[in-house]
Amino acid sequence: MTAGPAESTLAAADFDTLSGGLTEPEAIAVARAAAWARFTSLPWPTKKSEEWRYTDLTKIGFEALTPVVPAPATAEALSADVREVLGRSGERAGVVVLREGRVAHLELEPEVARSGVVLSSIRDAADRHPEVLRRALLEAQPGPAEEKLWALHLALLGGGYFLYVPRGVEMPAPIHAFHVVERAGTLSSAHSFVYGESGARAAVIDEFFSDDLDAETVSLHGATITGEGGAGIDYVALQRFGRGVKRFSTQHVVAGRDSRVVTFNVALGGDLSRADVTSRLDGPGSDSEMLALWFGDSDQHFDHHTLQHHAAPHAHSDLLFKGALTDAGSSVFRGLIRVDKGAQLTDAYQTNRNLLLSERSHASALPNLEIEADDVRCSHGATIGQVEDGQLFYLMSRGLTRRQAERLLVFGFFDEVLGRLPMEGVRARVREAIEEKIGL
Amino acid sequence: MPRNETISGLGLDEYKYGFVTEDKPVFKAVPGLSNDIVRQISHHKEEPEWMLEFRLKALEVYYSKPMPKWGGDLSRLEDTLDEIYFYLKPQDQMERSWDDVPQEIKDTFEKLGIPEAERKALAGVGAQYESEMVYHSLKEQWEEQGVIFESIEDGLARHPDLFRQYFSTIVPTHDNKFAALNSAVWSGGSFVYIPKGVKVEIPLQAYFRVNAERMGQFERTLIICEEGAEAHYIEGCTAPVYSTDSFHSGVIEIVVKKGARFRYTTIQNWSNNMYNLVTQRALVHEEAKMEWLDGNLGSKLTMKYPSCYLVGERAHGEILSIAYAGDGQHQDTGGKVIHAAPNTTSQITSKSISKGLGRSSYRGLCKVYDGAVGAKSNVECDALLLDERSRTDTYPYIEIDENTASIGHEATVSKVGDEQLFYLMSRGLDEAEAMAMIVRGFIEPVAKELPLEYAIELNRLIELEMEGSVG
Repeated sequence: MTAGPAESTLAAADFDTLSGGLTEPEAIAVARAAAWARFTSLPWPTKKSEEWRYTDLTKIGFEALTPVVPAPATAEALSADVREVLGRSGERAGVVVLREGRVAHLELEPEVARSGVVLSSIRDAADRHPEVLRRALLEAQPGPAEEKLWALHLALLGGGYFLYVPRGVEMPAPIHAFHVVERAGTLSSAHSFVYGESGARAAVIDEFFSDDLDAETVSLHGATITGEGGAGIDYVALQRFGRGVKRFSTQHVVAGRDSRVVTFNVALGGDLSRADVTSRLDGPGSDSEMLALWFGDSDQHFDHHTLQHHAAPHAHSDLLFKGALTDAGSSVFRGLIRVDKGAQLTDAYQTNRNLLLSERSHASALPNLEIEADDVRCSHGATIGQVEDGQLFYLMSRGLTRRQAERLLVFGFFDEVLGRLPMEGVRARVREAIEEKIGL
Repeated sequence: MPRNETISGLGLDEYKYGFVTEDKPVFKAVPGLSNDIVRQISHHKEEPEWMLEFRLKALEVYYSKPMPKWGGDLSRLEDTLDEIYFYLKPQDQMERSWDDVPQEIKDTFEKLGIPEAERKALAGVGAQYESEMVYHSLKEQWEEQGVIFESIEDGLARHPDLFRQYFSTIVPTHDNKFAALNSAVWSGGSFVYIPKGVKVEIPLQAYFRVNAERMGQFERTLIICEEGAEAHYIEGCTAPVYSTDSFHSGVIEIVVKKGARFRYTTIQNWSNNMYNLVTQRALVHEEAKMEWLDGNLGSKLTMKYPSCYLVGERAHGEILSIAYAGDGQHQDTGGKVIHAAPNTTSQITSKSISKGLGRSSYRGLCKVYDGAVGAKSNVECDALLLDERSRTDTYPYIEIDENTASIGHEATVSKVGDEQLFYLMSRGLDEAEAMAMIVRGFIEPVAKELPLEYAIELNRLIELEMEGSVG
């Protein structure tokens, strides 16, 4: 069975058309039905809400989009473009290909599978690990302003993958997932579910891409990343959609005692790219590193919202988000460090740096702090500026054109973040995608 | 000594000026707000027709705007507003000299140290008792220079054209709900005009005082600083402790013309039941410099963000802010800088201290419009937490439409370090003294900017509170 768009637009859809007559695990059916009811009862947030102050959701024609039915997995062969990327990105423990959210291909190194690691579609996971799935989704429930989109994401749940790494298992290489959007005018959704038990080590790269699409297309994405005590998880989302795509990703990290979770978002493509990244420092000694890079040209709009939520004492979080904009590109960074009462000895840092390369580009930064414990070290910094004339002059005097010099400086600007990515293979892949985008 | 006892030993939260003088208003409107009240105010002040119309229109705007949902908790304010007296006039005559000021009002000022301040040649003292200027003096030399320093009512009556040219042009009625309210019921405040090239060396001072239960004060100040002029205006206020919520909502408008320099200093120490919602804004022209020095120590909730609209090339705006939030207090303060012309520069420095259940929030805006080539802005916010129950927030907004702008924002949050305390105590200080010294050191970068003579008041309001109860 192949996943086809539902017969109707979102405006005309009801829960049955959204389900396309598919049978699905009860855990998913129940969650989806509840989410659909929630979605239809909530109004779209407007620019009046702080969360959507700089990104106007009401301008997106959601009602006219065709929702993609969350169909079961198929087993297609790898396409040429995926094979090509894989050929260049080093070792991996497994590969997942998702088309409009549906798992189209899934493979896991046999040796890794033998160590107890589970890699499956969300549907299969809902049969076997319903409780783990349910808890993670509940945990990721966003605030009121993001609830409408999140409910829509859950109503389409069924697409996506599930990675479960058992106690003490260290995966030798990353899982590489490809999220492909092919049909213009669709609304699709995928979920990345990553769970590491105590002492587990895992790395995942989610790569999102499409051709340039000639009609407004929306891709929703959710990620729930959980590290139990002492686990170590590296998560990378590399977004290089074509034009026409509007993308919304909600990522929720829960870091348990002494665990370390790194998230790295790279936004390069799409017309609009929004990522809400939350790290909840849930256990003492937990550590979260949050990294992001974006490069916007044409009239691209990037919006990054972050929350470093310190719910436990002795935890550490460090955020570094850097963006560069040219043409009429625009970006928003809105970050919050929240330190709960009792989360003493918190160490939390947040840095956002923006480079404006053109007259028409503009950037907004809203780095916020809410601190309710007294024995903390928290700081944040935000800057907006341009490349230095001296540096530009130097490079141009060596024979580079202004554009080349500028782009080279942007690459240097990004390098601080790239250098903090732990895995060489993933780092190389991200670097390559950026080079491709900025045209060095 | 346990830390908490040490902190309460500092007496940071003891309100030193919590005295109440029996009040005898000459005219007192009924509580609450209506068209009739606004008409009464205007009639009572013998205002021109246009001002009455302005007030009535502002009242409509006030009704049409929803209560802000951001910032502090205003949910209980609406009930409070129904019980507030929107206008009081304590005396019919404007006093000309100190001797004529009634004894009970003098007593009130006495406790604040105002007579000394005045005698020490603090020159123009416009002392505001309740809603109007009751005492006003100005050095003769300034009158010769053409400096105008009057109550806002006299400004309107005596300089109608000048007044009308600028009034409400910097803070328009529809700017925000409370600016609209102030526009409808304003009463009291200062009117200041500094002619071209005149340098006023001694600060202009106005003391404010609210002294009737459930009475709102809506002072309105309009300051025009002509080309190349220089002046410093100081406003300080304290209020006695009351049992019901009180409300203060001022509007301060300042124009700083080409090459002029102006500094506006406020220290507010309203009692802890006061809602203090103030709109302060300066329009800064070419090569002019505006400085706001803002100290917020009192009130239940303060929402105040002094702003500089940098509209001329090379204009400079500076905001220095100290906030102290004790038990039950929320200081939601900060500053706004709007860069609307090339090569404009600005600096915001904010220092806040939270103690007990106090909450201090920095909220600020740095906006650079397209075309404000080479604009530079730097924002620094430091917060100190004295108690594990205290809270601090930082909410800066940075909106940049100009690629040649250079913008920086930094904030830190910390507590008084054990090592710092240990070091000072090893040098022979007790813990309370050491704590006070560290707190003083923390606010020093802002405190040192105050003029020497104003240190009398500042010392009372900050330093004595910090270490007053030691030993």
